[in-house]
Amino acid sequence: MEASSSGIPHLPGMEISELSKNTYEVYIGPAHPGSGHMRIIVEVDGDIMVRVDPDIGFVHRTMEKLAEGRDWIKNIPLFERMAILDACNITLPYVEAVEKLLGTEPPERARYLRTLLCEINRIASHLYGTGIFGVFLGHSTLYMWAFGDREVFVDLAEQMSGARLTHSYPVFGGVRRDIPDDFPEGARKATRYMRNRLNEYAKIFLNNPNIRSRLENVGVMSKNLATELGIVGPNLRASGVRYDVRLNDPYEAYGDLEFEIPVFEEGDSLARAWARIEEMRQSLNIIDKVVDWLEKHPRENFMHEKFWKTAPKLYKDVYTGQIEYAGKYRIKLMPLFASLKVPPGKAFARVEAGRGEMVYYVESDGKDVPYRVRVVSPSFRNVIAFKYLMPGHRLMDLPAIYGSFDYFPPEWDR
Amino acid sequence: MNVWYLVYRVIIDDIIFYPPVYQYLIIPGLIAALLVALFIIWFERKAAAFVQMRYGPREIAPRIGGAIQLVADLTRYALQEIIIPETVDALPYILSPIVMIILALLPLEAVPLTSIRTYFPIPPDYSLLIAVALSTLSPLFVVLMSWASNNKFAVVGGIRESFIITAYELIAVLGFLSAAAMTQSFNIVNIVNMQMSGKWLGLLNPIALLAVFIAVLMSTSGFPFEIPDSESELVAGPYTEYTGLLYGLNMGGGYIKRWVFSILIALVFLGGWAPYKPVPGIITGYFIPSLIVSIKALIVMAIMSFLRSVYGRYRVDQALGIAWEILIPLTLAAFGLGLAEAYFGVI
Amino acid sequence: MPAKVALKRNPKKNPLGRVFAGNIGALAIGLKYFFDPNRITLLYPHEYIKLRQGYRGFIVLIQDKCISCSSCARICPARAMKMLSVKVFDKRLKKEMVKKFPVINYNRCIFCGYCVDVCPTEALYHVPYHDLVYMNMRDMILSLEDFQKEPENISAKEGVPIRYVFDEKRGLVKLRQEEKVTAQPVEQTKPDTTKQQASNQQQASNPEPKSINKGGASQ
Repeated sequence: MEASSSGIPHLPGMEISELSKNTYEVYIGPAHPGSGHMRIIVEVDGDIMVRVDPDIGFVHRTMEKLAEGRDWIKNIPLFERMAILDACNITLPYVEAVEKLLGTEPPERARYLRTLLCEINRIASHLYGTGIFGVFLGHSTLYMWAFGDREVFVDLAEQMSGARLTHSYPVFGGVRRDIPDDFPEGARKATRYMRNRLNEYAKIFLNNPNIRSRLENVGVMSKNLATELGIVGPNLRASGVRYDVRLNDPYEAYGDLEFEIPVFEEGDSLARAWARIEEMRQSLNIIDKVVDWLEKHPRENFMHEKFWKTAPKLYKDVYTGQIEYAGKYRIKLMPLFASLKVPPGKAFARVEAGRGEMVYYVESDGKDVPYRVRVVSPSFRNVIAFKYLMPGHRLMDLPAIYGSFDYFPPEWDR
Repeated sequence: MNVWYLVYRVIIDDIIFYPPVYQYLIIPGLIAALLVALFIIWFERKAAAFVQMRYGPREIAPRIGGAIQLVADLTRYALQEIIIPETVDALPYILSPIVMIILALLPLEAVPLTSIRTYFPIPPDYSLLIAVALSTLSPLFVVLMSWASNNKFAVVGGIRESFIITAYELIAVLGFLSAAAMTQSFNIVNIVNMQMSGKWLGLLNPIALLAVFIAVLMSTSGFPFEIPDSESELVAGPYTEYTGLLYGLNMGGGYIKRWVFSILIALVFLGGWAPYKPVPGIITGYFIPSLIVSIKALIVMAIMSFLRSVYGRYRVDQALGIAWEILIPLTLAAFGLGLAEAYFGVI
Repeated sequence: MPAKVALKRNPKKNPLGRVFAGNIGALAIGLKYFFDPNRITLLYPHEYIKLRQGYRGFIVLIQDKCISCSSCARICPARAMKMLSVKVFDKRLKKEMVKKFPVINYNRCIFCGYCVDVCPTEALYHVPYHDLVYMNMRDMILSLEDFQKEPENISAKEGVPIRYVFDEKRGLVKLRQEEKVTAQPVEQTKPDTTKQQASNQQQASNPEPKSINKGGASQ
C-alpha cells in the first residue's frame, strides 16, 4: 500500500501503509507468556480486534533441505523432531512413502504395533493441546492435570520403544521392537483410569460456567469458511465437515478396527475443545482393541521378509531374549540399512496426525539420499484461520481462539 | 515512681498499644498484614499444588512443608536492583506502589476492634461508613501506575482495572451498608454486640455476604476475576515494568488490600470478636479480641485463595456484565432483605 | 468401512441450572483433591526413577566382540560415532595389528539406538540411566577406554529409587523400590563386573506384581 499524499521518500524495499485512526497496535510477540514461538500483530479499536496478522517463521530449521543430504534411514529421527509430541504420527508417512518405493509391505503385526503407538501419541498430543489451552485461559489446574496424565501415556510409549518422546519406532519394513510381556495389563489400567479422568476434566473445565462462557460462540467457523480456508484436523471436524484420513483413506490397521469419529456441528471454540476430548475417548477404545489383538495373536516376526530372511542366528537370539544384557523382543537392523538404495520414483503418503492431516511427498533418484522430500504439516494449513476468524472479537478472545486451534509452531516452521 | 513502671507506661501503653498506632502498624496493621501476606501466599501455592498433583514449595524447609519460602522470596525482592527504565515517568512510577499500600491500610484506622471505650481509635459512631469510604481511595493508583509505565500492555491493563473499579465499588459499599440496614446503626461496636448471641449477620443475610465476597475478589484480582494482571495475555498488566522491591510491594499490595477487606467482612458479617466478651485490661481487652478478628479474616482469605485452583479467568466484558447485571440487583435485594428483617424484628 | 462418523453436539445448557450445577461440580472436584491429593512430583535429586532394562540410555562398548565393520558409524544420524584406529594385540593371530574401534561423541548423540540395533555382533548395549553431567565439552568426546566403562550412576548413590506404578483409581502412584542384588550365572563371554551389574538391573526391574507387594501401596 503506497502513501498517497505526503512527501515521504520512497526507498527501495520500503513498505508504506496507511495508519488508520483509532487503532492501537499490540504485538503479542515471540517472548510472550501466551503466544508460543510466533508473533501475532493485532490492531485493536477500543477492545475489538480489527486486523490480525500472524507472523510465523521463528523456528525454521530447513528440515526439507537437510533431508536431502542424509541417507534414507537417517531422516527418520530428523523428521521426528518436527513435532516431537506425536513422533510416530510424524514419521509414519515418510516410512510409508519409502516403503511404496521399495515395494515392501509391513507384516500384519507390525501394522498393529504402529497403530498402537500412533494412538498413544495422539492422546499425548491432545492432552498437551488441552493443557496449554487451559493455561491460556488462566486455568492452571487443567494444565497440571493434563501434563500429569500425559505422563501415563508417555510411560506406556517408553515401555514400547525405549524412549519417552523420541521414539524413532517405525522403520522401513516394520517396527523396531515388540511390546514387553507386562504391557497389556498396564495399558488396560491406563485406559480405564483415563476414562474417569476425562469426565473430571469435563467437570472442572468444560462444564465450569466460567470457562464455558469464555468459549461458547467464540471463534465460530462455519462449514463453508472451514472448507474454503483448507483447515484440517479436529478443527475441521468441529465445524461439521466429515473428513478424516482414517475414514476416507485407511492406512495401517485402521481398516480393520471399528471406532467412531466425532463430528460437531457448532464450530465454536467449545466444540473444538470437546472434539479433542471425544477423540481421546475413541483413541482409548482403539488402544484396548489393539492390545487385545496383539495379545491373542502369536509373536511372529514384525519385520518384512526382505530384511529378515538372511539374518544370522544372533539376531534371532536377541529377539527371543537369550542374550542377557540385550533386552528382549528387539529387532536388529541389517547393516544394509546404513546404505540403502531406493529405486527411483515418486511416492506420496498421508496420515492423520494429532493436529490434522500430514502429507509427505518423496522423490528418489536411485541414490542413497533422497532427491526431494516435501512435508505439508497440519499447523501450516491451520494458521490462516487466525487472519479470517479473529477480527470482530475482543482482545481477550485471542487466547481462547488460539488455544482452541492447537497450533504448534515448530510443526509449521519445520 | 519505679523506672520500669514509667517505661511500661510510656512504651507499652502510650506507644505500642495506643489505638491508632496499634491498629495501623501492629494488629491488624502493617506487621500483621505482612505476616498474613507471607502465610497466605504460601497457602495459596500449597492449596493449588494439592489439587494439581504436585507438592508446592518444599525445598527450603521440607519438614514444615516449605512454610518459610516466602521469607526467601521477599528477601530476594528486597535485595534485587530496582531498574527504572528511561521511558517512564519517574515520580508517579516510584510513588504509586508506595502510596497504594499506605492508602490500602487506612480503613484499619477507622474500625474498633474491641468494645472497651479506652481502645477506640476514633469515635465509633459512624465507623462503618468511614471505613468503607476510606477503602475506595487506593485503587486509583493502579491506573496511575499503568499510565506512568508507558508500555502498551500496562495501559491496556490499567484501562481494564479502571472499568473494574467502577463496577465493584458500588457492590462492596451497598453490601456492607446492608448490615447498617439490619442493625439500624453505623456503629461497628453495636453491630458486633448484636451478633454476640450467635446471630451472625452472615447467616441472616447470606446474599449480602456472597455479594461482598465476590466484590472483594473482583477488587483484588482474585480468580476468577484476575483481569488486570492476566499473565497469558498482557504480560503482567499494570505491573509489567516493575522490578525489585517495588514489584514485591505490588504483588504483596494486592494481598494487603484483600486482608483489609477481610477484616471488615469478619467484623460485620462473621461476628467480630464474638463469642468472647472483652474485659478491661490490655491483654484481655485489646490483644485477644484483635487476634480473634484476625483469625476469622484469615479464614475468609484462605477460602478466596482456594478458588484459584478451580476457576479460570473471565473476560472483561463478562466480568463487568456479571457486576452490573447480576450483582447489583442482588445487592439491592440483599439490602431489601436487611430492611425486611429489621422491620420484622428478626435481629 | 469399519470407522464410522458419530454426530455429536455440545452439551445443552439450561442457564440457571447450568450455573449452579457447574459451579458446585467444579468446587466439589477441587475440594475432593484438596483433601485427598495424589502427588506425583519426583523430588529429584533426593529421589530418582529406576528405569527399566530396555531404556535407551548411555551406550557402552564391548571391545572383544567388535569386528570393526563400521556399521554403527555409518548409520548414526547425528554423526556421533567415529572409528578410531588403534594398535591391538590380536589373540587369535598372535600379532600386533591396527584395528578400528568406535568412539562416541556425546555432544551429538541423540540416543536413537540405531547403532545398538545395527551392530552384527551385539557389541554395544544401553545402560538404563541418562542423567550425567560433564564439566566441559571436551569430556563428552569419550576415549576408547571410557567408552568401555559404564558411566557412574550418580543419582543412584545419593537418591532413593522410585518407580511409578499405574493404579486405576489414582493414576500414577509413586512407590519406593528396594534394590535386589542376586548373582545369576549366565553363559556369556563378557567381563565379570558388567555381567553382574546387568543381571542385577534386570532382576531389580521385574514386572509389577513383585514390586507392589514389596513396596506397599501408598494410598
